[in-house]
Amino acid sequence: MSSPLSGMRGVVLTQAWAGAYCTELLGFMGADIIQVEVRKRPDSWRGAYDAPLAEKLRGGDGLRHPWNCNYLYNSVNLNKRCVTLDLQTAEGAAIFRRMLPLADFVVENFSPRVLNNLGFAYEEMDRIRPGIILCSLSAYGHTGPWANVPGIGGTIEPTSGLSALLGYPGGSPMNSGLMYPDAVAGLNAFTAILAAVRHRSRTGKGQYIDLSMQEANLVFAGEAALEFIRTGRQRERMGNRHPAFAPHGIFPCRGHDRWIAIACQSEPEWQQLLRALGGPGALHVDVFASNSQRKANEDELESALAAITCLQDRDELAERLTAAGVIAAAVFDGLEVAADQGLSERGVIGAVRHPEAGEWPQALVPWRFSRSESPPVRAAPRLGEHSAEVFAELLGMDPGEYERLAGAGITGEGPPD
Amino acid sequence: MDQALANVRVLDISSSAGGAWCTRLLADLGADVILLEPPGGHPLRSEAPFDLDGRSLVAEYFLANKRAARFDFEAAHCASRLAALAKRVDVVVTSLRPSENARLGLSYAAFDNPGLVVAHITPYGISGKRADIPGNELTVAALSGWAALTGQASSSPLRPVGHQVAFCAGTVAAGSVIAALIAREREGGAGQEVDISELDVMVSAGSPGILRGQYTGHSTPRRDSADVTAGPVPVADGYFALTLSRAHFWRDAMNVLGLHDLAQDPRWETSWYRQAHKDEYSGRVGEAMRGWKKADLFEELAARRVVAGPVLTMEELRSNPHLAERQFWTEADGQDFPGAPFRMSATPWRLRACAPEPPAKEVDAK
Repeated sequence: MSSPLSGMRGVVLTQAWAGAYCTELLGFMGADIIQVEVRKRPDSWRGAYDAPLAEKLRGGDGLRHPWNCNYLYNSVNLNKRCVTLDLQTAEGAAIFRRMLPLADFVVENFSPRVLNNLGFAYEEMDRIRPGIILCSLSAYGHTGPWANVPGIGGTIEPTSGLSALLGYPGGSPMNSGLMYPDAVAGLNAFTAILAAVRHRSRTGKGQYIDLSMQEANLVFAGEAALEFIRTGRQRERMGNRHPAFAPHGIFPCRGHDRWIAIACQSEPEWQQLLRALGGPGALHVDVFASNSQRKANEDELESALAAITCLQDRDELAERLTAAGVIAAAVFDGLEVAADQGLSERGVIGAVRHPEAGEWPQALVPWRFSRSESPPVRAAPRLGEHSAEVFAELLGMDPGEYERLAGAGITGEGPPD
Repeated sequence: MDQALANVRVLDISSSAGGAWCTRLLADLGADVILLEPPGGHPLRSEAPFDLDGRSLVAEYFLANKRAARFDFEAAHCASRLAALAKRVDVVVTSLRPSENARLGLSYAAFDNPGLVVAHITPYGISGKRADIPGNELTVAALSGWAALTGQASSSPLRPVGHQVAFCAGTVAAGSVIAALIAREREGGAGQEVDISELDVMVSAGSPGILRGQYTGHSTPRRDSADVTAGPVPVADGYFALTLSRAHFWRDAMNVLGLHDLAQDPRWETSWYRQAHKDEYSGRVGEAMRGWKKADLFEELAARRVVAGPVLTMEELRSNPHLAERQFWTEADGQDFPGAPFRMSATPWRLRACAPEPPAKEVDAK
């Protein structure tokens, strides 16, 4: 038994979130992911070399380097090996050139000009390693007038149409609380690369994948785009509401910042909600008798429901409603997600031991196969942790040569000397 | 040109948006997707909003590129009839909870096709304590942590817009199905089941926020106010996001806005210092931005390679010259559609057909 990508290797230049997340998922599929980083300019998600440690990592035993202990980096780089290599030096570029024949795919999320300037355009890579798959993730794609306009999740959310849709009814457009467009780009690149791997395994042919974060996210706003195309309407911001059903919202519970999500998608579900909440009460009135009436009087409906939920314990209410068949759930914050027993039973949350940061629960593999295996989870690599190992294994580099290159700052571990 | 999933046939018996997006993406990559709809039609067909002809826009988007046939899931011998159909396909995609599968007599063994890949896309997965609890976009947003950190601190948590959960889970499901097909080809033709929990996918998509909570001891809070570092703020003709995450972004942006004293003050070059003291400049920066039109400000900042983004409406995206030059918008059956999420040079994404009409004919089980 093995994993779907067992025996395949990605030599990847991904950084920050979108690209790094994509290649982490490919690692979870069994590929050997060798992430190439640069000592003199660490991945922005490793943070600055002199950044302070997060609160819970301060003090205690052992040496903790900030660049190996960033929650951002360590959350999206599981199951990778990390080598450092300065591709802007002739020797560094030559070593990368020697690694390419041993790679099945390359993933990068530089600005569009960078890879060409380094001498590694797709055509050149395909010449060095026929059949290679190269996936580029960029803000706006590698062609078109905005190809060289920089962007990150926080600016792609506005330019993809998503921010215009996100917000409270009647309120301003917003961005999500994390840089959501990165996750969207990473998930799409993951699936595109798997499709390319299947094509290659059947035909031997590689290809180039150009992923524009703007386009991938606009596709996820596609139903609103189609609404504009067909009707000329810009969809309004509707908060937690549903275009058709009511109630469909997040309501306060007893205590500080405690909330419950409740949705009724049919008349039987509304009747189940009424029974589970008990009555008679403010909800048992004619103006809420049908879905169309509830939708027409949604402000009043939400106030009446909130007046009931705000007196109740969140978890007790969620338990009671779901037991009654109502679509409902507690609103968890990040700490509650990490501590949830159901999620650890599923295996999507699990403890990962990092040699410097220590052992913490974090998000793991988001799929389950009945037959294929998932490789054991490994912590995110320390900066340059696998440089010596990988160069010896892949290129037969001897320790003397490695030491010389490390001394010159072309590879090595940690910040420049 | 060939497509990556040419010669893959998919039977879609799912009834959710997550299942529908999985098979839409498989179809876009070349698979032949046959959608089985109950006599009342796929549930998405009755979901608002609707176009001027009364067609559900959700169904028009999620069901495009598929063929449809009628199938009565409540009729006698449903399981054996499905098994007969499943013998002729590579992949079955379903969205039923375990108790619903049991009621219909559906199981991997019952399909009796050793090469078959069956993908289950459900709110909480087909195992674990939540497997049989009903869920939807809203509850997955709640349990995954995404709602708690989106929105204003002074108001309620916010779920992601539209069908984000379905899109993310459907994309992971499509990738996992392709991985199972790769494994099948490598391993003597053996199929398997793929279990995709929409909640697991959104937990994975939020992994940075989850580990941040562990390392810092506190969860990511919702924002306490709309300010320039947290998302779009008002400008002369709309809204604009200026994230100011690097020193040169700050310097160049302040100069463009005419706030030269802020650009020159070395204290503001440090990212953590800017975050900690944003009250000292947010008002002035916001006021300076209000004098600009969003396209002009974007152009000035882009020329200086400063990360920035105007809030674009669908009307603006439809006429956007960049997307036009990249030929993003596409067409099927004479109708315009949003295009590809990624460009594959050898095996292109392709939209071949609009959503099928609600099928009048029963599926031919032969």
